Amino acid sequence: MNPHDHNHAPAPDTGDAKPGYYEIMETSVRELLVEKQVIGADEIRRMLEVMDSRTPALGAKIVARAWVDSGFRTRLLANGRAACEEFGISFFEDTQLMVLENTDQVHNLIVCTLCSCYPREILGLPPDWYKLKPYRARAVKEPRAVLAEFGTVIPDDVEIRVSDSTAMLRYLVLPQRPKGTENLSEEQLASLVTRDAMIGVVRANAPETKEKSR
Amino acid sequence: MTQTEDLLKRLPTEMGGLDAGPIQRVEHQYAPWEKRCHALANVLDIHKIVSTEEKRRGVESLGAEMVGKLTYYERWIAAFANILFQKQILTPEELARKMEEVEARHGKSPG
Repeated sequence: MNPHDHNHAPAPDTGDAKPGYYEIMETSVRELLVEKQVIGADEIRRMLEVMDSRTPALGAKIVARAWVDSGFRTRLLANGRAACEEFGISFFEDTQLMVLENTDQVHNLIVCTLCSCYPREILGLPPDWYKLKPYRARAVKEPRAVLAEFGTVIPDDVEIRVSDSTAMLRYLVLPQRPKGTENLSEEQLASLVTRDAMIGVVRANAPETKEKSR
Repeated sequence: MTQTEDLLKRLPTEMGGLDAGPIQRVEHQYAPWEKRCHALANVLDIHKIVSTEEKRRGVESLGAEMVGKLTYYERWIAAFANILFQKQILTPEELARKMEEVEARHGKSPG
């Protein structure tokens, strides 16, 4: 087994636990940079607040907007970063965002074979499996088998495109709007869009069948 | 391909196309220090001190053994320290002293 395969669970945060070696290193580097005025005293805390506001719910809003507003969809596909900035989302790295649209002919999947590049401004921090060897190694070689492990079976006549993220270019999948959602509000549509659908390993959820509606 | 050829052509973090087992659908809640480490990365990027590319290279240059044995954010903070030494923003001595001080706050003897 390759050592990369280890799943490293962090020590549980019990609040008063003594910090480990690397946590002490993190605290020390941060404090030294503040003391030397390389970074501002409040910058890390403010950045943590920004990061906490970036969750898949934000991505879901963008997808839902693209589903209901064709002008926004066109701008989003033309320049993902500019359209997200128009939506009020700031980027904290010098990276571009390309949004990949799923259609009846094409299913998109994103990966980072080299490290862990991910559309973090939109989705927050990636799940561990995205950063581990099996997904990174196999997504580019046997995407259909990988998708099947997520319970997603793509018909053979649908092309699968795998996009390998880089430090300069991140991707986000625009899933297909599920059938039977013509009457849903933008907010209801957003609730169907999961993180994994925007990575491309699953489809957007189908709307719940409302048996009581007449 | 000989084994040494493969070492030359493939970085320790380069995974694309290798054989590997089933997808492990594991996730964990990030520990507060891991999130702070990520925030530090973003702030250093904003200040044009450490770019994403430099960070990745910094992790790779830890070498295969450390890349294999350290956890994700352990690799990052180790790489940041090395990059900040190289850029003469911090010195190893300063960091060692500060780490003793931080450790002492928690009533733990250094080392």
